[in-house]
Amino acid sequence: MSMTASASIILAAMVAGYAVAKILKLSTELSMLAAALVGALAGGAGFPARHIVEGAFTYLDICLIFITATLFMNLLMESGGVAFVVRRILVRFHRHKAVLFVMLAVLLLIPGALTGAGSVTVLIVGGMVATILGYMGLPKAKAAAIVFVIAGLSAAAPPVSLWAMLTAAGVNMPYVGFFLPLLIPCVLLALLTIFILGWKAKPADLDMALRELPEAPAGMNWFKIAAPFAVFFALVVAGRAWPFDVPILGLPIIFAAAAVVTIALSPRRLDVLEIARRTVHQLLPLIGTLTCAGILVQIMTLTGVRGLIAITVVTLPLLIVILSLFVTLPLSEAVLMWGAAPVLGVPLVLLFNTLNMNPVIALAGMSIIWPLGDAIPPTAIIGRLTVETVGLKESYGRFLRACLVPAVLIVVVGTLMVFFSKKLAFLTVF
Amino acid sequence: MIITILYYLLVAATAGLIIWNIFKTKKWQEEALYVIVLIPFLLRLLRLK
Amino acid sequence: MTRKILILALGALLAVFAGLGFYNIRHLREPVVLGPGVAEVKTLSEYFPALKGSVNDCNIYVLGNAKPGGTILILGGSHPEEPSARLAAWVMAENGMVDQGRVFIAPSANRSGTKVTRPGGAYPASYTIPTPWGGQTFRMGDRWASPLDQWPDPEVFIHYPSRQNLAYMDVRNFNRAWPGRPDGTLTEKTCYAFIEMIKKEKIDIVIDLHEAELQYPVISTIVAHQKGADLAALASMVISGEEFNIGVENSPKALRGLSHREIGDATDAVSLLLETPEPFLDATRGRTDAQLLLTGQDEFVVRAGKRGLLFEKIDKKGWPIDVRVGRQTSTILTLLDLWSQDHPERAILLKDVPKYAEVIAKGTGAFLKDPKAADPARIRYE
Repeated sequence: MSMTASASIILAAMVAGYAVAKILKLSTELSMLAAALVGALAGGAGFPARHIVEGAFTYLDICLIFITATLFMNLLMESGGVAFVVRRILVRFHRHKAVLFVMLAVLLLIPGALTGAGSVTVLIVGGMVATILGYMGLPKAKAAAIVFVIAGLSAAAPPVSLWAMLTAAGVNMPYVGFFLPLLIPCVLLALLTIFILGWKAKPADLDMALRELPEAPAGMNWFKIAAPFAVFFALVVAGRAWPFDVPILGLPIIFAAAAVVTIALSPRRLDVLEIARRTVHQLLPLIGTLTCAGILVQIMTLTGVRGLIAITVVTLPLLIVILSLFVTLPLSEAVLMWGAAPVLGVPLVLLFNTLNMNPVIALAGMSIIWPLGDAIPPTAIIGRLTVETVGLKESYGRFLRACLVPAVLIVVVGTLMVFFSKKLAFLTVF
Repeated sequence: MIITILYYLLVAATAGLIIWNIFKTKKWQEEALYVIVLIPFLLRLLRLK
Repeated sequence: MTRKILILALGALLAVFAGLGFYNIRHLREPVVLGPGVAEVKTLSEYFPALKGSVNDCNIYVLGNAKPGGTILILGGSHPEEPSARLAAWVMAENGMVDQGRVFIAPSANRSGTKVTRPGGAYPASYTIPTPWGGQTFRMGDRWASPLDQWPDPEVFIHYPSRQNLAYMDVRNFNRAWPGRPDGTLTEKTCYAFIEMIKKEKIDIVIDLHEAELQYPVISTIVAHQKGADLAALASMVISGEEFNIGVENSPKALRGLSHREIGDATDAVSLLLETPEPFLDATRGRTDAQLLLTGQDEFVVRAGKRGLLFEKIDKKGWPIDVRVGRQTSTILTLLDLWSQDHPERAILLKDVPKYAEVIAKGTGAFLKDPKAADPARIRYE
């Protein structure tokens, strides 16, 4: 049998395994694992314990970044720091809709940018931002759409953009030069999203909003909020400015250091152990996805399925590839979550590389489209999480319709970035 | 060297939290997923991979 | 509770099986039967004591002490996942005889990288080269050193001393860390130790052996530091005329951390790097196993070639390991011939190493010695 035929059969078996697991109401993570196990069996590899566990190791370091970054954010929230910032911003700017929108967009961008996870944005600031938007007269579906879309952009935003990191790692390309190509579209699109969807908003009803927002504890101040961020950025900058004098710290320890500062400065006594336990539980769908995606990719590589997908993608006409990104990227995200980056992102970047396009800009463009898939079933993890956090009572379809305009904008910008990657290469300075 | 030790401590702490959650959760799917997630942390701690 | 214990037990079973596999490969002993030409076996820490006791304190086989002449260092296993590099080094250490000068061979220059395989890569743990006495098994290895020996990775890897930014995992890439530094990472220390060795032993030529995916533009070529540009160009002409096609490329001055650039800049040695094709490394490869590693036959890579996506030809015959090992040994022998003609007082006369046609005709395994039949005092383990 030819390799194409055998890999196609194995791929079909894996898809069937995934579908059956989903029908049996298994979570997406376990369905990915089921697909991997079926693939290994169909590929004649039996139950390859070493490969399964080796695949599970693929994103260990990224899981550590996730856990420490989210712990830092959760500690900041529990210490009352986030509520303090939201209340202060509201009090200061409630009469100025435009300024308030800019502040809220920035607030939504930070947690996801630092952690690489849109869900962290939703959990840390999503609820509070939605409350303010509600008191500005926005319907819940629109507020939820603003939180979801900007949370997705925050995940793609630098410094931690998992789609870009995972794909770059898969093609032995440095995760360097991505800062501006990710930052500029993410910030611009976030602002466009909040202004377009919030067009009909009125200035916020201050008293009502303040009554509903969580209280900030006495003793909280700007210094206590800024200090952990200052430590975080100081350590990152020190590592870059004096790389031969500062020991290699790595992002997990840098986030852990920021977390320690947050604990030390918190006006509230924090039950750190319980917060850490809850953080791990809250992250289970995400680190579970990364682990199972690693296993799936390992088995796909072992059995030739990854090669089949790669060779199929790189031999398609370029224009078709680029023009179908708006469907393929969100759909792959909906099925595989971050697993889409190594499975689909890697061959796409290889193709762009071979055709002399700028892989950094093209990958950055793809990275802003991917998160849109987080609203699409079967997974829709972040979409559902947003709807729950915001407390949307209407149908999920209404929320999806509200996301449509910014989603189209994002797709257009992302696709244009891929198309004109060479012309935008000047952005890849650091 | 100190940093590397800190990383092993971080891995040990995470593994501890995962095990704690395995015993706390009531859903079998979560238990299974926790166990899969736990394996790389344990094997790194044992310096096997 | 019973359910929890059952799930935990299943997980433990999986972890034990996989863990044993990882342990066994990390501790698999690869014998080198010292050939008649080996005069001495040194260790890298003799040149930089801080490496003593570390995983990267690798063996260095020294051939020849008959007649003074020049000195060459051959680095195998800079990227252990490129097996023809290590195998060619093995074949030379077990067979080579030196009439003039000295030949230093490091089959596991990046020893840590030989003890791990890449997560997500689905590499076989090991591969076996058939020999007349059965077969010899080698660790597969990876491109990067093991995180068990160097952890954590930085947010971004900044090369010493150029400050060029590289991908975070390249902090464990032996061929991005040259010239290294004494107080750096394990990988940087290893490169530094080799630089110390090159200086102390007054090495004239360093040849770093590699393999590349066919989708990578630097392939089937000799990459040469400007000091070795003429030598490499002449070797390329001779080999392409007599044996197989091989190109020549100048080592780019802007690309830092690579052996062909940094060794030439930091020492008096001429630094060269050889690349042979390894379809196993291509991202479009199909089923990933030891067979693909050793035959280099892959339907998908052939399809990529038909679409003009590759920088080297490939057909159904693939790129078998014997062809790749033969390319390495023949290129080294030709380079030494040409060097010795040009520098009679620093000549390096290496013989009894099979050339391209002979490796293909007899197979690499024909040049690997049976450790069971050898004097135990003449066996070393990698």
